[in-house]
Amino acid sequence: MNPPIKPLKNCGKCGLCLTACPVYKVLKEEQASPRAKLQLIKAFENNTLESSPLLKELVSKCLMCGSCAVACPSGINHYEHFMDMRQKMVESLGETPAIKSLIFLLSKESRIRMGAGMAKLGQTLTPKWLADKYRLGNIPINQFPRLNPTPFRKTVATTISPKGLKKGSLVYFTGCATNFLYEDTGISTIGILTHLGYEVIIPKDQTCCGIPLMFHGAPAVENMMTNIQALCAHDCHGIIVDCTTCGAALKDEYPALIRKTKEKDRPATEHNGEVLEDCAQKIAAKTTDILSFIAAHRKDLVFDETTPKLGPVAYHAPCHSRNSFKSQPLVQDLLRNLPFMDYTPTPDEAECCGGGGTFFYEHPDIAKIMMDKKLWHVNAVNARYWLTDCPVCRINMSGNLDKSGDIQVRHPVSLIYGALKKP
Amino acid sequence: MTHITDEIRKQLVHIVTQKRYLDSKEELACYAYDAFWEESMPHAVIFPETADEVSRILKIAFLHKIPVTARGAGTSLCSASVPIQHGIVLCFSKMDKIVEVNTRDRYIIVQPGVINADVQKALAPFGFFYPPDPGSMNIATIGGNIAQNAGGPRCLKYGVTMDYVLGMEVVLASGEIVTFGSRNVKDVTGYKLSSLFCGSEGTLGLVTRAILKVMPKPETVQTLMVTFKDLDDTANAVSDIIGSGILPAAIELMDRFTLNAIEDSFGLGLDRTAEGTLLIEIDGIKEACEREMDKIIEHLKANNAVHIQESANDADRERLWTARRSAYGVFAKLAPDIVSEDVTVPVSRVPEMIRKIKQITKSYNLTAGVLAHAGDGNMHPMIPADRSNTEEWARVEKAFDEIFAAAADLGGTLSGEHGIGLAKARYLPLVMNQDSRNLMSRIKQAIDPAGILNPGKFV
Repeated sequence: MNPPIKPLKNCGKCGLCLTACPVYKVLKEEQASPRAKLQLIKAFENNTLESSPLLKELVSKCLMCGSCAVACPSGINHYEHFMDMRQKMVESLGETPAIKSLIFLLSKESRIRMGAGMAKLGQTLTPKWLADKYRLGNIPINQFPRLNPTPFRKTVATTISPKGLKKGSLVYFTGCATNFLYEDTGISTIGILTHLGYEVIIPKDQTCCGIPLMFHGAPAVENMMTNIQALCAHDCHGIIVDCTTCGAALKDEYPALIRKTKEKDRPATEHNGEVLEDCAQKIAAKTTDILSFIAAHRKDLVFDETTPKLGPVAYHAPCHSRNSFKSQPLVQDLLRNLPFMDYTPTPDEAECCGGGGTFFYEHPDIAKIMMDKKLWHVNAVNARYWLTDCPVCRINMSGNLDKSGDIQVRHPVSLIYGALKKP
Repeated sequence: MTHITDEIRKQLVHIVTQKRYLDSKEELACYAYDAFWEESMPHAVIFPETADEVSRILKIAFLHKIPVTARGAGTSLCSASVPIQHGIVLCFSKMDKIVEVNTRDRYIIVQPGVINADVQKALAPFGFFYPPDPGSMNIATIGGNIAQNAGGPRCLKYGVTMDYVLGMEVVLASGEIVTFGSRNVKDVTGYKLSSLFCGSEGTLGLVTRAILKVMPKPETVQTLMVTFKDLDDTANAVSDIIGSGILPAAIELMDRFTLNAIEDSFGLGLDRTAEGTLLIEIDGIKEACEREMDKIIEHLKANNAVHIQESANDADRERLWTARRSAYGVFAKLAPDIVSEDVTVPVSRVPEMIRKIKQITKSYNLTAGVLAHAGDGNMHPMIPADRSNTEEWARVEKAFDEIFAAAADLGGTLSGEHGIGLAKARYLPLVMNQDSRNLMSRIKQAIDPAGILNPGKFV
């Protein structure tokens, strides 16, 4: 649960947030720091600065990783102040065509499906010379993941029975990445949960969590309403996410969004305000990321003893895993104690990879500096596998790896599932 | 003072290129502040990358009498990096190269924008460290540390920044590049000018390179957490320990109010009912530490310590220190503004000074927490307040007037580690007579005759 947002004037300007900010650490410019962004928002709110393209650029040059809010001893939730400010800037200045189409696409499930279909067509039709030549940010087009042949949720039943005795039921929020890009994550997640004795429910009416929209100043009320209805319709012991950014939406952003819309008395949620808030709170309380869940049930996993030792394995802790779910120590403990895994942590495991939603595309020069450091460390430990539980980090990491190398970027669940004892 | 005309702007941009010259109002707004509450907009922000660039910029500023205020990470607690008379902010954060690490000869050479914590990281593999450890060490720069003559908890045993600067390269207001000191730990050649520039707060010259003395890491570090029922007992224990000839690396004192504020934020399981808590760290050779520890415990018991606990491992120690280092920010949670000063008294007067602080703040009906690097008498009375409440703010100012006067009465001084800046300029007469202040002015006049370097501050 998010604590109530502390007023901006409580920022003591101590500068501790600078130590946590990946963008400041690369640029070493105050205007890129969380502290400066708060000062700019203050200036905007008391009318000493009006909205301008530069102001928008300055407040948006941010990964939205939330590390500043965690570091802040004064209890400022930078994250929400930034999100609000981005919305205000977009309202007064609009958005770039590329981002606008992203928002248009992600705000309706039917459009996401259509977009994915078009993209698949595109991937098949793109001439090789073009794919080899063009890049999105620093990533060559041909190093982007291939789309799933069929969207993952279409390939599985709504309810999947557990192996053996049923311990309970869990709702699985798959997110767009698993649905369209990384079906291996979905297959593995279901495999592990059913292995642990849980019935898995995958509501077919779920849609994009809305975080990409929120980061770009669109309120994402529609996405939230769809998901709250989809998730609340099932009685379950818990809601599992395989992506901690989607998880942060369910856990932190939906309750915050409802609170804000209530404050502003926007009509969107008026008709069933109370019920909706209740549902959102229930969802927030039940949401767990898959790795924390596995860590808590590790003793019930039965491994195939013939699994060859995998490794060296490095892990990259995504920002929402660290800052929203605070799962990094649990994951480290889990990886260290998996019998088949040679976990070799890199010293910069918790440093940002520069992905940050669309940051890697909008600020490729900064993202490259962050990624180059990570690559140096992961090569230094001779990693064969580089694990991460965020799909954007995964795209960014595998997209930046030297293609000739043999490091595989995977979600930890796929290695864990692969080592389970099959009947 | 001259404004930056189009012609001057052109010359400055020519030196550093457009990319390292900022003058949009949006970007300038990001350099109008540091960790103190005073704010003032610069007219331009420039990021130099070499001493030569600094020199060329200063030559132009000198010619046109444009104020120049140096900045590192902007964590000054006394407004040292706020351009109170506008002009140019020279931001050294991009001059962040470690030039040489030489632990055989016990020094490290750095550019001014290197972060203190990065110096520690560079030295750690060799088993060495750089002792000055200001609370902001994870982001504050060496240039800023030198300008403010920064200190921190372990300066009780090891001394402050000035004690570790062997030599430096400085650009004077005229643009001349001067060097003094050397790579030698022993060097009595000429005036010890580096000690003049340490704590000069950017009013005499701008450091572009520093040679710092480094120390071998002690073999053992032990930390004690001690609670007391009575704050007087707590302070007396400190002065007894120091008085008996033991020199711990650090002795940090927290009163009940401070401890509770920390506990609210960190939930470390500290004893919320203790009136006084000490965090004592000793380091050195294992056997020596053990003997010192026994003696310390004797003194603690003699002063009615309630609970004495040794930290079990490095992680525990780190947690305690993280909490302690965040105390300033933790206080900021309590109110929009926080006034934290760093008055310092001889260690035997610590108990008296704490009583005075409590009395004075109470008489002005203010809530105050006391946090102190008690072993060297460096106190941080901290008052959470709201500057927009003018009535309350007037009481805060009056209380601090009396606190500074009380410290001076006890043979103490205004600042142990933050510096004077704007925050304490008006209290200087309490500890320096007119002739002494005149001497500072004459030095300033001789080195910066046009008065362009950080004007409007304490000198």
